[in-house]
Amino acid sequence: MIDWKLILEVIGMLIYATFMGFIFMGIERKAMARIQRRIGPPIYQPIIDTLKLLGKKESVTHGFIYDFGPVFALGASIAALLFIPIANFQLFSSNADLIVVAYLLEVPMLGIMLGAMSSGNPYSAVGVQRGLLTMVAMQLPYGLALIALIQHWGTFKLGEIVALQQVHGWSVTVPALLLALIVFDIVFQAMLGLEPFDIITAPAEISMGPMVEYGGKHAALLFTQHAVQLFAETAFFAVLFLGGASNLLELLVKQIAVLFIAIFVASIYPRFTIDQAAKFFWKWPTILGIIAVLLTV
Amino acid sequence: MINELMVLLFAPLIAGIAAWAFDFRGVREAVGLTGALVPPILLAKAYPGILNQPLSYTLKVGGFNLSFQLNALNWYFAAIASLVGLAMALGMVSTSRSGYEWLFALMSYTGVLGVFISQDFVGFFLLWELMTFASFMMVLRNNRHESLKYFVLSIVGAYAMLLAIAILYTKTGALDFATIRQALYMDISIGAIGRGETILLFLLFLTAFGVKAGAVPLHVWAPGAYSEVNQSYTAFFSGALSKAGAYGFILIYILMGAKLYTELGTFHGHITFAYIMAWIGAVTVVVASFLAVLQEDIRKLFAYSSVGQVGYILLAFGVGTELGFAGGLFHVLSHAVFKGLFWLVTAAIILQTGKTKFKDMGGLAGKMPFTFAMGLIAVLSLAGIPPLAGFASKWLIYEAAISAHMPLVAGAIFLGSGLAFAYVVRFLYAVWFGQRPSDLDDVKEAPLPLLIAMAVLAIPNLLFGIAPGLVTEYLNKALGSSIVGGDYFKLVTKTGTYNALLVTIILVLGLAIAGLIYLYGAGVRRISVTNTYQSGNPVTEEFNLSIRKNFYRPLAEALDFWLKYSWDRFYERLAGIAEDFGDAVRQSFYNGNVQSYSWYLAIVLLILALWGVL
Repeated sequence: MIDWKLILEVIGMLIYATFMGFIFMGIERKAMARIQRRIGPPIYQPIIDTLKLLGKKESVTHGFIYDFGPVFALGASIAALLFIPIANFQLFSSNADLIVVAYLLEVPMLGIMLGAMSSGNPYSAVGVQRGLLTMVAMQLPYGLALIALIQHWGTFKLGEIVALQQVHGWSVTVPALLLALIVFDIVFQAMLGLEPFDIITAPAEISMGPMVEYGGKHAALLFTQHAVQLFAETAFFAVLFLGGASNLLELLVKQIAVLFIAIFVASIYPRFTIDQAAKFFWKWPTILGIIAVLLTV
Repeated sequence: MINELMVLLFAPLIAGIAAWAFDFRGVREAVGLTGALVPPILLAKAYPGILNQPLSYTLKVGGFNLSFQLNALNWYFAAIASLVGLAMALGMVSTSRSGYEWLFALMSYTGVLGVFISQDFVGFFLLWELMTFASFMMVLRNNRHESLKYFVLSIVGAYAMLLAIAILYTKTGALDFATIRQALYMDISIGAIGRGETILLFLLFLTAFGVKAGAVPLHVWAPGAYSEVNQSYTAFFSGALSKAGAYGFILIYILMGAKLYTELGTFHGHITFAYIMAWIGAVTVVVASFLAVLQEDIRKLFAYSSVGQVGYILLAFGVGTELGFAGGLFHVLSHAVFKGLFWLVTAAIILQTGKTKFKDMGGLAGKMPFTFAMGLIAVLSLAGIPPLAGFASKWLIYEAAISAHMPLVAGAIFLGSGLAFAYVVRFLYAVWFGQRPSDLDDVKEAPLPLLIAMAVLAIPNLLFGIAPGLVTEYLNKALGSSIVGGDYFKLVTKTGTYNALLVTIILVLGLAIAGLIYLYGAGVRRISVTNTYQSGNPVTEEFNLSIRKNFYRPLAEALDFWLKYSWDRFYERLAGIAEDFGDAVRQSFYNGNVQSYSWYLAIVLLILALWGVL
């Protein structure tokens, strides 16, 4: 028996998520430009960019893994997206819980790293190093925030976390989880690769780091991956702390709210160096995270 | 009629002795391989009946009855050890040219199997020492200093265990596990063994098993010893031998769990003695993983990583719930297969290049594609990427630790997996990618037996990753309750669910979509590795632009305060002080002066006289 409704939902969600992800990228650029008193590109600019890249006559490659990296990254982002309950669409979320989704959201990083490493470019290598160290640094506060959440709601299942929030109020309204939210939001900045944690790409220092070698269709794949990832991560945030959503519009409002906080923070702060970032993550966010988990035991 | 269990136990040892005696090329390998093949075959044959009817055998040696039993739980350990043992033997066909190595490698194989199936402390201790001795001899062959370090810590562990056994014997009058367990259980109401003695026993066993498992701060032998042996043997050393330590921790539960619980009680809702284990595990995970990230030698990196991964197992056992045991036991399997695979990949790299430092390697992916693919499977499994075996077991440990309300311990797992990600990528980058040093231009793919050995360990990584239910179902039966629900492909706990097959399918689907976009795009042109963006400066082959040394320098800078302290240096200093003290004693007393010697004699006689001996 084939569940046609589910298949249609999946296809629809993929198209919607990719499109909205691109729009989010456009909003990010536009908002950043307005804060800096520039006009900025139109909101659909990322879509045009991606289509242009996809239309290039020829791409260069450094070998199989170089091609495989972006493909793997996009594939993993899609997989992560389909296990998150998005608004009233449950998709496959009853088959994998929070830990699985948290891991799946990290897999694309490995794909990008694989491709970047195989290019042999030193800027890529520095980017890989910074990416992994950022991940190491943020992992502890990130984990603590998730643990606090799980302990409070007593379940790992995303669907149940949403349902419980609809009965008992959003996670943010619980004092301990408000702390967890603050921690998660700081980590979120690093997950999106925005200032002050845009150490990985650092355009002015290492020319986009891992992405430096990519052009043509490879870059188009990475843009698409970024769009899907952006949508998935903002949705994940909304599901965990903002009570999920009952329809796509409500979700969109929450996603954009989350996104704007990230943009505002990003446009105020300059970039950390990597050891500063590590020391920062292991100080305040970790302390707040520990308080949060101890309050929810 | 020779008992099957005895064949299982002694086949590797006999094969090892034969391989050593007939040390000719071809014969040695054939005999050794046959010996290593016997245990997996016999264990597979025993599988259908093992859950209902344990196999037992008693061996009478010099007044002692050594009883052996193959039951549901130790079948699991023995099966893992024999799988890794088989892979080790296949790998050694390629990497070893000496009967000496075959003898001691197979001797430790027998030792490990014996530790798992012994049912009394005589056999357990003897085979434990056989295992230690054989692995010590393997290290001794390559590096005396490291072997001595291993020797001293093993001796500490052995004395601790002997002392614990002696105490147990005086208190209960028994040496076999069943009676001891019974006696300790009865003692809860009798109270013949006091609180202090129970704690002492616990600490002694913790030391004994902690040394073998490489728990911090007793881990210092592991990096040196794991590095300084034939790398095919390390697959067994780290994959199976360290599991003897993990098995020991389970033995603590089996023998004295109830007694410890009544004596030590609970701490904030956690069973105290288990909580101690969980913290030992958590500290081991974090410390060893940080050190692994900063290593510059491929063998050292995996050695520290191995210590860290065994930390996960201790942590999971320390959680003390059924889910924790299931997770820990699953991780015993997945650690054995992915770390065994890593060591075989390392063996292949070292065999083919002769290099061990990251700074001398690079760009090997094109030269050794099969080994690279195997290394990638191991990387994905260790980093816990779904759907591989490493993820399934880690997932269970996460669920166990968080549902048992051990948030800080669970936080250590999060940190540990971030670090694991970092060090495996380091391995990938330094060995396989980037510019190839010109002296590695004629490196060839690893020899066939080694490749088969890798495949033997890679298949379980995939199989138990996609169908983790195969393992959990067995564990449910072995532990006697349905801990993890679901079917072959789906794991269901009270609070979470993980459908490995569906994750695989969706991942493949995602890859297919991405692949279609890739195919839709224009054709590709292959360019060389030096043809990259360099801010406008063209580079030629002479420049090596890959970062091979101090890859994670910023992390070392962020950690400089902590890196000032080292257990290794602490022990070395302790050894130095002991040596200085010994020198001082020798110089002041044994000064070669006859007069002072006669004075010593006089003083001793005087003391004896006063004591009333004379």
